[in-house]
Amino acid sequence: MTALLRIDNLYKQYKGSKFFLSSGFRNAVGPINFTLEKGKILTIIGENGSGKSTLVQMIAGVIPSTSGDIYINDHALATMTRQDRCKSVRMIFQNPKVSLNPKMTIGKILSAPLELNTDLTAAQRKQQIIATLELVGLLPDYLQFYPNMLSAVQQHQVAIARAMVLNPDVVIADSILSTLDISLGFKIVNILLKIQEKKGVSFIFISHHMNLVRHISDQIIVMQKGIIVENNTTDNIFNSPQKMITKNLLKSQQPDYRK
Amino acid sequence: MLINNEFNEQKIQSPLHYIWSIFLKNNFAVFAMWVGIGLILISLFADVIVLYSPFLQDPEHLLSAPYWIEGGTTEHLFGTDDLGRDTLARLIKGFQFTFGGALVITCAITFVGAIIGSTAALTRGLKASVLHHLLDALLTIPTLLIAFILIVLFDPSYQNALIAVSLSLLPQFIRGIYNTIDSQLNKQYVVALQLDGATNIRLLRFGIYPNILEPIVTLVNRIFTMAILEIATLGFLGFGTQSPDIELGKLIADSIDLSYLSPWLIILPGLLIFIIIMVVNIFTEGLRHAIIQGED
Repeated sequence: MTALLRIDNLYKQYKGSKFFLSSGFRNAVGPINFTLEKGKILTIIGENGSGKSTLVQMIAGVIPSTSGDIYINDHALATMTRQDRCKSVRMIFQNPKVSLNPKMTIGKILSAPLELNTDLTAAQRKQQIIATLELVGLLPDYLQFYPNMLSAVQQHQVAIARAMVLNPDVVIADSILSTLDISLGFKIVNILLKIQEKKGVSFIFISHHMNLVRHISDQIIVMQKGIIVENNTTDNIFNSPQKMITKNLLKSQQPDYRK
Repeated sequence: MLINNEFNEQKIQSPLHYIWSIFLKNNFAVFAMWVGIGLILISLFADVIVLYSPFLQDPEHLLSAPYWIEGGTTEHLFGTDDLGRDTLARLIKGFQFTFGGALVITCAITFVGAIIGSTAALTRGLKASVLHHLLDALLTIPTLLIAFILIVLFDPSYQNALIAVSLSLLPQFIRGIYNTIDSQLNKQYVVALQLDGATNIRLLRFGIYPNILEPIVTLVNRIFTMAILEIATLGFLGFGTQSPDIELGKLIADSIDLSYLSPWLIILPGLLIFIIIMVVNIFTEGLRHAIIQGED
């Protein structure tokens, strides 16, 4: 079985080095190599500043990579048209309060990706948007609303709907639960799991809640200082962590409250 | 943003309507808006309104005072100047040139500056960098000095004064628009639109401009105020409007020798400039507060 997403020697470098007046490049992320199969959930964990966000932003196309390739179904993302790229990889931004335009209605926000990337007529677009809103558990009435009229969870649902409206293969969720408390966070996670069950999309998560990570993910990548130090299935990572950083991450995030 | 109509159906206001409804609650600013509209109407129909031609000389009444002061007549409400020309007519005619010119300049600067500023903010690399440094160099020279230099290059006249003032104020506006758009480009909703594959025009229309109303209102207000002051200053110093044409700054300059004999010839045009600037500032301040309140 071929992998849905394959990352091949991906690098991100910034100009300039740590030393004064010396030219050169500073490695932010890389080399990165991993694969993700269809319908699986991959979680990236790591300390702050370990390059998790840079990595997923490169995959989503927010920032360009310095070198290396990203393949989806064995097509390099760099050679795909912008529309195909949009249809295959979508990103859910961290905080919907700032990622949803306050001056656009939910309907306009959701129809923008359809208008720009598909040839659907207005009626078909509306049908697709309503279907997507139902998928994330919102009523069609919300089309007329502006983002600041919705609650935090509903805003998250709209952000998920914006990612799902094009029926992508891979959806990236960059620490989306950090702005919600854990009970509402689980509501969002359940929506995502339901979507994954229905549509068979692959998810790439970044999260700091280890219990949640254990619950949802099939595969875990541990990053430190821009490189992958461990890449294994969830059971292997949690039962027999190999590296010190992994052990620390797991330990620090699982306090035993009963003591 | 939810308002109920008489059938108790919930209707959703657009952000612009919401901002406007907040603005309408500010009585002071609404009054300033109506006064401003009145001023625009006066400047449009100045030739119809005036009772006397501003150039008609009345040898019977030389240097007469306004009617509420002893020695004044109701024939000339605001008095006459040393050649017996009606001050009210001259004020209205001068107001037409100053206010109307500033209005035209502001519209032109807003249009041209918005295009250049948006283009500069959305392009990267050499072109943007060249423009950036050019603007920086221009901003080091005071605007009035640029206007003087341009006037010296052309001939002093009303049209050339307008061109000089608009060219001297343009860099400020471009720089302001550039900075505000540049700050918007880091916002996540703009990044999300870019990820959707939006063209630059769509990005500006839906993503950026609706969210930078407040800085634009402030910028336009400042440009308008400075335009009025600069046109009047150029006229006062003799670099702008030439006789027999009149303009508020020139009215003051013409009567400066008569300041002891009839001080109202100086006071009235000065007061008019003050009123224009106050009205415009109160109106835009109300608008700005409404926008800020509406965005919360």
